[in-house]
Amino acid sequence: MNKDQEGEKIVRTTVWSPGAGCHGGCGVKLHVKNGRLVKVEGDENHPWNQGRLCPRVLALTQYVYHPDRLLYPMKRAGERGEGKWTRISWDEAFDTIEKKLKEIRDQFGAESVLFCQGTGRDIGGPISFLAYAYGSPNWVQLGLAGQSCYTPRLAAMFATQGDYAVLDAGQFYEKRYDAPEWTPPKCIIVWANNPVPTCPDAFHGHWVVECMKRGAKVITVDTRTTWMASRSEIHLQIRPGTDGALALAMAHVIINEKLYDKEFVENWTFGFDELKERVQEYTPERVSAITWAPKEKIINAARLYAKSKPASIHWGLPVDQCPEGTTVAQAIAHLWCLTGNLDIPGGEVIARPAFGVTTYPFSSHELTALYGEEFVKKLTGKRIGAKVYPMVANFRGWAQPDMAVDQILTGDPYPIKAAWIQTTNILGGQAADTRKHYEALKKLDFNVVVDTFHNPTSMAVADIVLPAATFPEKESFRSWWAPLSVVVPAIKVGECKSDWEINLELARRFNPGAIRYKSVKELINDRLKPAGVTFDELAAEGSWMMPPEGHSSKPYRRYEKGLLRADGKPGFNTPTGKVEFWSKKYEEWDLDPLPYYDEPPESEVRTPELLKEYPLVMATGRRSSVYFHSEHRMIPWMREIDPDPIVEINTKTAADLGIGDGEWVYVENRRGRIKRKAKVTPTIHPKVVMVPHGWWYPETDGREPNLFGIWDINCNQLIPTGTQSRSGFGGGAYKTTLCRVRKLEKER
Amino acid sequence: MRCYGMIIDIDKCTGCYNCFLACRDEHYGNDFPPIALAQPFQGHFWMQMNERERGIYPKVKVSFIPKPCMHCDDPPCAQASLSGAVYKRPDGIVIIDPEKSRGQKEILSSCPHRVIFWNEEKNIPQKCTLCAHLLDQGWGEPRCVEVCPTGALLFGDLNDPKSQISRIWNSKQVEVLHPEFELKPRVKYMGLPKRFIAGTVIFKDKDECAKEVKVTLTGRGKKQTLRTNNFGDFEFEGLEEGKEFTVKIEHSGYTPQSIKVQTKQDVYLGEILLKRSSKR
Ligand code: SF4
Ligand code: SF4
Repeated sequence: MNKDQEGEKIVRTTVWSPGAGCHGGCGVKLHVKNGRLVKVEGDENHPWNQGRLCPRVLALTQYVYHPDRLLYPMKRAGERGEGKWTRISWDEAFDTIEKKLKEIRDQFGAESVLFCQGTGRDIGGPISFLAYAYGSPNWVQLGLAGQSCYTPRLAAMFATQGDYAVLDAGQFYEKRYDAPEWTPPKCIIVWANNPVPTCPDAFHGHWVVECMKRGAKVITVDTRTTWMASRSEIHLQIRPGTDGALALAMAHVIINEKLYDKEFVENWTFGFDELKERVQEYTPERVSAITWAPKEKIINAARLYAKSKPASIHWGLPVDQCPEGTTVAQAIAHLWCLTGNLDIPGGEVIARPAFGVTTYPFSSHELTALYGEEFVKKLTGKRIGAKVYPMVANFRGWAQPDMAVDQILTGDPYPIKAAWIQTTNILGGQAADTRKHYEALKKLDFNVVVDTFHNPTSMAVADIVLPAATFPEKESFRSWWAPLSVVVPAIKVGECKSDWEINLELARRFNPGAIRYKSVKELINDRLKPAGVTFDELAAEGSWMMPPEGHSSKPYRRYEKGLLRADGKPGFNTPTGKVEFWSKKYEEWDLDPLPYYDEPPESEVRTPELLKEYPLVMATGRRSSVYFHSEHRMIPWMREIDPDPIVEINTKTAADLGIGDGEWVYVENRRGRIKRKAKVTPTIHPKVVMVPHGWWYPETDGREPNLFGIWDINCNQLIPTGTQSRSGFGGGAYKTTLCRVRKLEKER
Repeated sequence: MRCYGMIIDIDKCTGCYNCFLACRDEHYGNDFPPIALAQPFQGHFWMQMNERERGIYPKVKVSFIPKPCMHCDDPPCAQASLSGAVYKRPDGIVIIDPEKSRGQKEILSSCPHRVIFWNEEKNIPQKCTLCAHLLDQGWGEPRCVEVCPTGALLFGDLNDPKSQISRIWNSKQVEVLHPEFELKPRVKYMGLPKRFIAGTVIFKDKDECAKEVKVTLTGRGKKQTLRTNNFGDFEFEGLEEGKEFTVKIEHSGYTPQSIKVQTKQDVYLGEILLKRSSKR
């Protein structure tokens, strides 16, 4: 495996978070010379990416050896925000954290500590493991309004299909596009996503391109004309937040024109008649007025998708950020079920963690085995949001973020005293209403930040800062979805430790009885047991392994074979055993069992008065191939490619406002204003502006009040909290608030 | 003797910047005498990336055009250089000798493609070498080609009649970025954006997309005809820049329309209303 050549060795490993930032999965070859990482190449033998890479990993050495990287634990020396730190040992750091958090637990209960993470990367395992060991039910993506990132889509799929599904690009097969079992989709709807620079949600963007090369026709739903949109058969350039209406109109066409898969609908679904009745109000005419997409294009998109078999949908996070995100996701997911594309080659393949390996015990079943039933019940009972939202109580174990921040400020129904903040730059990243989160976190008695760099959050609120290892420095494992892979350590940098190492040590201190692992490797080997393999064996095999034929994590048509349900019967893992267009779970969770459309909280329809003052829709969050959310702004070669916080504004709109390309402008709404540099472009809809998120200036003063410039440029200051869906998940208004843009004279 | 060439397929390029970065990674901090000295940390774009957005809402097209040195067969940079500082190797690669070129800043402006960069610290002009140092070691392709995830960069030996590149090198779809320079480049392109003329035809009486309507384009001594699609849209692609064309729209029962268009820019004519003809 490791070949020596002038003292250089090559380590094959799998990418997962720090460094790359993204949702990971790619196989890479790390070239290490004299203990130093010198070059990274894509691993042509790894089925995920087959040698392909992205700019962030090509420039990885700049991240790993960046002069500003956190290299050892530190404690705050001055006041919060003064930027004064003292280096401490790991022992001191662990001792202090243990003492502080145990005191808080004794006095206020474990629930008074929030365990905060950012987007789903190699963190769900370590952090939920730590939170449960400590005894807190409040594992939360603090700041992410409505928990609007994948969770709503996952909940919708879980509720209606009993499993999760993704576009099938042969990713469950070693041979990928050459696998005889697989066929390329004939049509792909790229729904609210720009896959190539994104690689979202355990998906490699180039898979779509590979399907296009093999004949897939693309329909794009996007308010911007991306590279992919301009290569699509049909581009539906819709009003942000109206995706649910579009999906229902497409279902209207598919049902009324009898384009659905009669055999599948008859045998494997439940509630078709109710759905049919529901979609009648969503005529293409009406939905055209809602979405701005021409009626004919909606009809033709529905026909092209339904008449192509197999066909697939690849969707993105804007779905979650629609009002009622969980119901929008439900509406879109119904399209692939209506057309019988579920779990067939080139359709929407059911995605299960390879070999049934999960990185952390997150099912109530597993948790009960570890900590006992009473504990798990108590946990759920105390989780923030669980009493209000049955979905929060019954799906996945996240606390509701909008309620969490409010509870810090009000102390109602119980006080929050501390935050463990790991892999998340809350104030420079996901937090809607940044100021509110700033004030809330400032109020807490004790905050720990675990990260790779100082950032606005660590600077503003941390009492202790712990340095996290990047992926080439750590041991970890991954089963999202296939192959099963391991992250193999190749180098050591400073005193950095992996999130797993840090959390295992503290978990042991918080709950010596339940945590029996002596090392991270022991923990990994234990979790890998269902696959009958060890960490070392996988590392020696090039870091990955595909599940075998016949396993329930291997496609296709598992519903026919009885591979999906615990009782071994054919069908789906839902109450009726069928795909539920009319969802029993939604009913049980007090939600409308059928999908519907709801207007954004601010919009031309709901708030026409506001529109007069703020005539543009502000969509945030478009991706850049050189950044991952709020990361990488300090990486020189990345920043050189995408140097400024911009706002994309349509050529005509800019001309009307007297704004020229490259000029600095204010983007403002009722909640505040930020400065941005205008990128005048025909690619954005004239009534929408796109404001990329996650911007801060690592090169400027990190201390208060500047905090790396966030108050000047962070667009999430303009986003409210509290717009969550009726389910508690979805609805963060990151893409739908109204704003105006005006020229900034002189300054800057 | 090998004879290198590259074809860049614009249809496949997603603008990911991998080629640019791999080039940086290869050449920053690494001297490869006598072929090249190290690239500076920033500011040089031996593989440039140009984003092209064409048209107006709602008819917009996006392309990315990667641009290395074209390794011209008649390189003006070589002519402009003193004491043979820029020379063409027998395999076709144009090299700026890092020793001989010292101080010769004039070389930059001799290149109409604008792909030569000045290294302030080393006092030399620099540019893409097609990774000649790797090819000379037996590599089959430069780093940029190796990392391109979409296969947009095709590289090979033009002297090998069986190579993929030599089979298409002289075909019609392969073109030159700037034919007007007449420099016989060794880097060619496919799918370069040209000009388009597009529009959407509506039957005014029915307020409906006009499908299957005949649209004829004349100009430059040629005539093309097509029919509008389901959305009433038509599009003529690949037109010459800065020329006059006429678009004629005809449908039985409707008054024909004729529109004169200039392709200085890409043209989206917007909605064109067809009126019922009076005699009927
Ligand atoms: S592109 Fe410019 S630098 Fe390259 S060979 Fe031609 S003239 Fe010389
Ligand atoms: S690597 Fe390939 S796809 Fe990426 S920008 Fe370069 S030519 Fe385009």
